[in-house]
Amino acid sequence: MALIFIRTAIIFLTLLIVMRLMGKSQVGEMQPFEFVISLLIAELACIPMADSSIPLLYGVVAIIAIFILHQIVWLLDLWFKPMKTVVCGKPSVVINKDGIDEYQLKQNNLDVSDLIESMRVAGYFSLDDVFYGLYESNGSFSALENPDRGSSSLSYLLIDGGTADKKNLATCGIEKSKLDEFLKKQNAELKQVLAMTVNGDGRVYFQKRGEKYKILQMEINGKW
Amino acid sequence: MVKSVVYTLTAIALCLALFIGVHIYMGKQFSEFHDAVETLYKKVEDKTANREDGFAVRSMWTQKKSHLHIFVPHNDISYVDYWLSEACGLIYCGEFELALGKLEVLLEITKNLPGGYALKLENVF
Repeated sequence: MALIFIRTAIIFLTLLIVMRLMGKSQVGEMQPFEFVISLLIAELACIPMADSSIPLLYGVVAIIAIFILHQIVWLLDLWFKPMKTVVCGKPSVVINKDGIDEYQLKQNNLDVSDLIESMRVAGYFSLDDVFYGLYESNGSFSALENPDRGSSSLSYLLIDGGTADKKNLATCGIEKSKLDEFLKKQNAELKQVLAMTVNGDGRVYFQKRGEKYKILQMEINGKW
Repeated sequence: MVKSVVYTLTAIALCLALFIGVHIYMGKQFSEFHDAVETLYKKVEDKTANREDGFAVRSMWTQKKSHLHIFVPHNDISYVDYWLSEACGLIYCGEFELALGKLEVLLEITKNLPGGYALKLENVF
């Protein structure tokens, strides 16, 4: 028992020193290679710590090796810019002045509902609350805020990538026939619509695939 | 920046020094032990080995393994313990023919064990 305690203490101190040298202050926001390192370090630290048949030196050397690799990748990032893109990726602008960039969303394996979720986490409840929205290479969402933010109530996603969300339609009290009528007015078919949201005031964010978004009005049954 | 480069180079230098040091140390320790076992083997072959010979090799190994535990997985050390104990037990009983077989295994283990930790392609994968 005492042996495990001492081994754990040694691994803990080694990890602490290495993490400090790596400059980790926010473990939650990691670059891809940092995430890989965290996964590896957890495993490398645990095995020799708990298994007393493996020399502790094996764990310590493995952690130091990870530290050296981290430093090498970091220095390459600084000295050779294309390396940064290869290792860490680059930010993706998913909302621009024309609205949602579907190509960028697909590049990041995301859909409109994921984007809306990220925006809500960032404090924006409507797609037109921002001029520009981007996913940083560490996965966090950043936005350039629209000073004339118009959302006074929660927006519901009615059409996501050409598919109507029946649950949200029911929540908003909008019948399918009414949606079809609205689409007809906009001279659009369901499949052509990339995103359509509506808030409690009937304010609609409408974007056809490959076109600029429009802010429209729609009659709705009651507010939410 | 400079500090990070210094840290990295220091860590690389320390690791290299450790790798080379451990390689030389382990090679030396196992080589010395291998020689001792070989001498014991010859004595057993000549049927001149006695209790003290076995005891001397065991105490030599006990001394060496206390340090080798830092670098070698403990299971590998226990293989040597096992075969050495078997060989010594048979020597104490005067079963020299049987002891030879055990010592043969021990010689192979001590010869091949350091190679298992050397930087070789087959060890990497």
